[in-house]
Amino acid sequence: MSAPARPPAGAVAPAPALAVRGLTVRRGRLEVLRGIDLELRRGEVTVLLGPNGAGKSTLFGAVMGSIEPAGGRIEVEGRVAAAAQNAAFARRGVRANVELALAWWGVPRSERPRRAAAALAELGVGGLAERPARVLSGGEARRVHLARVLAVRPDVLLLDEPFAGLDPTARADVLYDLAAVLRDEDRATCVVVHDRAEAWALADRVLVLLAGRIAASGPPAEVLERPPSPAVARFLGFSGEIAIGDEVLMLRPGQVRLDPGGDLGGEVARKIPVEDGVRLELAVAGGRVFAVAPSPGPAVGERVALRAEGGIRFPRAAP
Amino acid sequence: MHFIWEGLQQAVHMILHDNGELRHILWVTLHVGVVATVVAAVVGIPLGLLFGLGSFRGRRIGVALLNAGLGLPPVVVGLIVALLLFRGAPLGGLEWIYTVEGMILAQAILALPLVAAFTATAVGAVAPALLDQARALGASRRQVYGLALREARVGVLGALIAAFGSAVSEVGAVVLVGGNIHGQTQTLASAVLTEVAAGEYGTAIAIGIILLGLIVVCGGMLTAIQQHGTGDDEGAPWFRWRAS
Repeated sequence: MSAPARPPAGAVAPAPALAVRGLTVRRGRLEVLRGIDLELRRGEVTVLLGPNGAGKSTLFGAVMGSIEPAGGRIEVEGRVAAAAQNAAFARRGVRANVELALAWWGVPRSERPRRAAAALAELGVGGLAERPARVLSGGEARRVHLARVLAVRPDVLLLDEPFAGLDPTARADVLYDLAAVLRDEDRATCVVVHDRAEAWALADRVLVLLAGRIAASGPPAEVLERPPSPAVARFLGFSGEIAIGDEVLMLRPGQVRLDPGGDLGGEVARKIPVEDGVRLELAVAGGRVFAVAPSPGPAVGERVALRAEGGIRFPRAAP
Repeated sequence: MHFIWEGLQQAVHMILHDNGELRHILWVTLHVGVVATVVAAVVGIPLGLLFGLGSFRGRRIGVALLNAGLGLPPVVVGLIVALLLFRGAPLGGLEWIYTVEGMILAQAILALPLVAAFTATAVGAVAPALLDQARALGASRRQVYGLALREARVGVLGALIAAFGSAVSEVGAVVLVGGNIHGQTQTLASAVLTEVAAGEYGTAIAIGIILLGLIVVCGGMLTAIQQHGTGDDEGAPWFRWRAS
């Protein structure tokens, strides 16, 4: 796998491998997806972020053809493969499971062993090839699961929460290994994740799906640092809000510092121990912000001075 | 206990000094059991896959009918099959009444719901996530069904063991359709009936012991295959599924 070839400036962008136009999906009277427009291009990794129930899995289901849309079009140039959240295996060895996936995909028998071995090695599980798949640890199983879908070399690859259910250490290991192998100039990839850090590690482009609509789309730095609406900002961790005149300043906990010389005053409303110290909920004039401070931190009810560093401003009427 | 001991001795004597009569009964019993099980498997396994994995209108009713079929009364099935096979009846042209073929037909009908219902239950218990993943990687319906069957092979082989056991030990339908003709359509089970009717309890017990032995040996062989396939390996070499 190699880095994607970027088209020269002014060149016409190639046709997307997957184009979704005005996709609407209903469950009964409820519109689960509304007017989704989406393009996935070869060589690009698109990360799809959204809370539970936003419609991410429904979108994948519609693209895979297992869910019938109520409206819109899905155009695919090539073949689509998807890796479900759960890594389910046949009662066989690891290698046999990957070869089975290649058989489903229609890869000739003579090519299967070589491609299975290469995919397993790429994900760092080549040594587990002969082990029964059902005795793998969570992290190993997830790597084999990912190797299985990478081995088939689809034109469009959909990964639904590839790190779900892993402990933090395994999660980080799998994330970095996947980030290293995911980008392929022949493949358009879309990954559903829940975590901003995972999005940073994987994405060329980030999409935020809220309540069945695409609420934000763009490069990671743009979407994650300058979300286009308060709703997206709230979902992306800008949990503190201060009303200032006709505007609302939204802040992530990392953008609020306890500083005796700070220009904001607040009172500690709640204090919760966290890994890096204590997480403080602070009532300030015009709103409420969150900050992380070293232990033991100020007591509940204590008044403190604060400094806001960065943040993002929206008109107060913005949704 | 005296009868059983005497029967055991007589069973050993019959086996050691068989003039061909026992061999023929044994052959008819095995022939009926094996062919009826194969026929029930050929029809029942695809039916079980369809009802276990399919999603279509009437599926639940079909499953309910299969489950109800587990309680089919052999005598009633035998009576209906015999009536259908009599000369002048719809299947009379086959000339299967009082033949081994007719007995196989009756036993296959009795074994069919057993194989189909147990297969449907076994494949229905295969992890949906595995089958969904297969579809997401381009597996055809045939490949998905093949995967489910392989994953559920322990349950499916259990169904075949039960079907074979039923086919060799059932007596009501066999007598009604086959006529229990000595030297032609008599099975071990129907021979027991004849001996009891004649007051030959010792001989009846001896034949019963041979029938039990047959079921234990054949059931044991099928169980060995079944248990061989419970691990995470490639399964028994004669039961290996090759994806194509």
